[in-house]
Amino acid sequence: MMSQAFASAVSRTGVVLRWNRRSLSTARILRSVTRQRLATSTAFIKSCQSGNYIPASTFHLQQYVRQYANEKKVFERTKPHCNVGTIGHVDHGKTTLTAAITKVLADKQLAESKKYNEIDNAPEEKARGITINVAHVEYQTETRHYGHTDCPGHADYIKNMITGTAQMDGAILVVAATDGAMPQTREHMLLAKQIGIDHIVVFINKVDAADQEMVELVEMEIRELLTEMGYDGDKIPVVKGSALCALEDKNPEIGSEAILKLLEEVDNFIPTPVRELDKPFLLPVENVYSIPGRGTVVTGRLERGVVKKGMECEFVGYNKVLKSTVTGVEMFHQILEEAQAGDQLGALVRGVKRDDIKRGMVMCKPGSVKALDQLEAQVYILSKEEGGRTKPFMSFIQLQMFSRTWDCAVQVQIPDKEMVMPGEDTKLILRLIRPMVLEQGQRFTLRDGNLTLGTGVVTNVMPALTESQRSELTEGKKAREKKVAAKK
Amino acid sequence: MLLHKSFVHAFHTTRKLCTAGAGLEKSALSALRKKTGYTFANCKKALALHNNDVTQAEKWLHEQAQSLGWSKATKLSDRVTTQGLVGILVSGNRGSMVELNCETDFVARNDTFKRFVDHVSRIVLHYTDLTEFDGDLWKLGFDSEALKNLETPQGGSLADHLALLIGAMGENASIRRALCFKVNNDLRLAGYAHPAPTNVSTTQNITQVGKYGAIVAFRSQHDVDDHEIQKGICQQIVGMKPLKVGEYGKDVPAENKDDETCLIHQEYLLDADKTVGEVLKENAIEIVDYHRFECGERTQRDIKEIIRAQQQNSN
Repeated sequence: MMSQAFASAVSRTGVVLRWNRRSLSTARILRSVTRQRLATSTAFIKSCQSGNYIPASTFHLQQYVRQYANEKKVFERTKPHCNVGTIGHVDHGKTTLTAAITKVLADKQLAESKKYNEIDNAPEEKARGITINVAHVEYQTETRHYGHTDCPGHADYIKNMITGTAQMDGAILVVAATDGAMPQTREHMLLAKQIGIDHIVVFINKVDAADQEMVELVEMEIRELLTEMGYDGDKIPVVKGSALCALEDKNPEIGSEAILKLLEEVDNFIPTPVRELDKPFLLPVENVYSIPGRGTVVTGRLERGVVKKGMECEFVGYNKVLKSTVTGVEMFHQILEEAQAGDQLGALVRGVKRDDIKRGMVMCKPGSVKALDQLEAQVYILSKEEGGRTKPFMSFIQLQMFSRTWDCAVQVQIPDKEMVMPGEDTKLILRLIRPMVLEQGQRFTLRDGNLTLGTGVVTNVMPALTESQRSELTEGKKAREKKVAAKK
Repeated sequence: MLLHKSFVHAFHTTRKLCTAGAGLEKSALSALRKKTGYTFANCKKALALHNNDVTQAEKWLHEQAQSLGWSKATKLSDRVTTQGLVGILVSGNRGSMVELNCETDFVARNDTFKRFVDHVSRIVLHYTDLTEFDGDLWKLGFDSEALKNLETPQGGSLADHLALLIGAMGENASIRRALCFKVNNDLRLAGYAHPAPTNVSTTQNITQVGKYGAIVAFRSQHDVDDHEIQKGICQQIVGMKPLKVGEYGKDVPAENKDDETCLIHQEYLLDADKTVGEVLKENAIEIVDYHRFECGERTQRDIKEIIRAQQQNSN
C-alpha cells in the first residue's frame, strides 16, 4: 500500500504537487509550499552527492533508485508505471480477480499477495478534501508496474478521475460466464467512456461453472455490447478463466494460467502513458524578477519536459503570446545543464521585459499550448461535510477558478440539469473572463469567496467566445431577463 | 403477471437492440437468452429440462421467474442498499412520491430500474383511487413493510414484483417508503425530482426520477398553470431543505439567512433579491403542505441500517 502510494507519488510528482498548490490558494501559503518543495529538492541533491543516486543507464527508461526513508522498502523504478482498474457487477468476482492477480504474481515474487477481505472493504479516503471509497493494490508483471484501482460505485470512479489520485489508463471488465452481461453492464461501459478509458480488456470469470457453449455466447454478447457502446468490440482481448481456481490453486489451465494470460493481454493492449518528462516542456510562471546586467528571470516548477540553455520558448496567458529564448537555467544559484520535470528553477530569458510577463502565464515550447476562454469540465461539488457550501447553485453563478499559478473569474453554465446540489458530480461549461492556458486533463478548483466549492478536470476544450458572448459574461441578471423577454 | 411480461418485454427489446445486425449462430441457448434475457445458467437449465425445446423452456422460465427472483432476493436480503432513486408522479389532483434503494449507483442509472420506479409510483398513485375523500388534502405514508404487502392491480404483491427486479439485476433492492397525496377543491399539486432534464414542458402523469424529490400542495388564484414558478418552489424545497412553511407574524427570520429553515423567509434560489414569501405573494400562491425525499437520507428508523452500511462499506 505504501509503496503504491510512492509509486503514484513518484510517477505523478507533477500532479501531486499541483494539488498542493491548487488546494492552497493564497500567495502566502503558496510561498510556504515552494519553500517546502525547495527543502525536499535540497535533500534530494544531498542524497545524490552521497552516492545513492545511480544515474540513467538506458536512454528511454531512466533507471534509478531513490532512498526515501530507512525503515521503508525502497521502491525500485525499473519498469514503466500504468494504472488499471476493475469494473463489473458486484457478484461477478472483481475482488476475487484482484486477489487472484496478486496471488499469482506473488508466486513469481512480483507482488504481495492480498487476501479477498483485505481488498474487499474499499476504505474511505480523503483526496483533496473529497471522500472517496477506493481500494488501491500494487503489483508488477515482467514488463510493467501497476497500480490497480477498484471502487464500489459510479460516483466514486468519477471522483477518482476528478482528483486524479490514480487516473486509470485502462480497465479490466469482469463478467461472469454464468450470468452473462447484466442490464447494468451497459452503465459500466458508459462509465468507462465517461472517465476517458479507451482500452478495455475483458475477463470472463467463473468458467468452471459454465460449459463451452455458454462461455462462447457470453464472449459474443460482450463483444457486441462493447461495439454498440463505441469500443472496437472485435479487437478487444477477451480472456476466460476462474479467479477462484487461481486463488485456490486448482485447475491451473483456467486458474493461474488464465490470470497470466489476462496480465499478458493487459501488458500488450493497454498502452503505457507518456511520462511527463517526455512531453514538450511547460513551466507555470510563479515569479518574475529583473536582474540588473543580466535580464529577466522567471521562476517556477517545471511541470513537464526538459529545459536547456538555448531553447526557444513562448509565454502564453492574459491575451498575450511572447516569443523568447532561454539563455540560462539555474537551480539554487547554480547553473543547470538541463532542468527536468519537477525541478524548481529560474530561467533567464532574452528580450522580454519584466513587466511583459506576469504570474499565471506559462513558459512552454512554442506552439504546444493555447489559451482558452471556454471549456467543458467534469466537476465534483464538495458537500457541506467536506467544507463545501450548503446551498445548491444554478447556471450563471460567478466563481473564481484556480489552476496552476493563475486564477480567473468564470461564469458557470449547467448543460444538463437545472441546479447542482452539494455532494454531486456534474458536467459544467465554464466561461473565463479572459483566456488562460488550459488543456484537456488539467485540474482546477472553483472557489466562491473564501469557500472551496468544487474541484474538477477539463474534459473538453471549446471554441473561443464570440464578442457578444463575451459581453454577456459581464451583464447582470436584469439584462439577461430583458433579452429572454424580447425573444418571446 | 402483466408487469412481469412488460418487464421481460422491455428487457427483451434492449437485448434485441444490442444484438441487432450481428450474425449470431442460431443455437437454442443463444436464441433463448436473446429472447428472454434470463441468465445463461437459467436458460441452460430450462433447455436441459425440456429437451432443447425453446418454446417449452421459455414458458418454464417465465413460470420460474417469480420463484427464482424470490430465491435471489432471499439470498441477497442482508446486503445493504444505500443508493437508489426517488420517483415522483403527479396526475391531476393525485400525486405519489416513492423511494427505492439498490446497492450500486450503476443500477440506479439503469433503465430497467427506472421503469420499476415508475411502476411502483403508479401502483401507489392507484391506491388513492381506492379511497373516497372530498376534503381539501388527504395524504398517506407507507413504510417498507406496508409497501411489500400492497396488492397490485396486475396481481401479486409489490414484494413479488420487487423479487422479479432483484432476479433480473442480481443486486439487492428495496422499496423504502412512499407517500400519496390527493387534493380537492381549489388545491393543486406540483412535483419535482432532481436532477431533472432541462426543457421539460410538462410533468403531468410522467414519473420524474432523481436523487431528491419534492411534492407541494398549493392554492393558487391563477387559473393557468405557471409551470416555471411551481418548479421553482419545488427546487427551493429540494435545495434548501426548509423544515416548515412558516407563518408571517409567528415565525421570525433567522439572523443568518443561510440557516433559515422557514420556507417563506428563505432567499429564493432563482432570484437572491427576493424571499420565497415575496415570490409566493407576487404569484398569489399559498403553500398548504409539502414533502421532501432525499435518497438515502437518515431518518430515525434507518439509522441502524446506515451504521451497518458504514461497517460493511457496501462492496
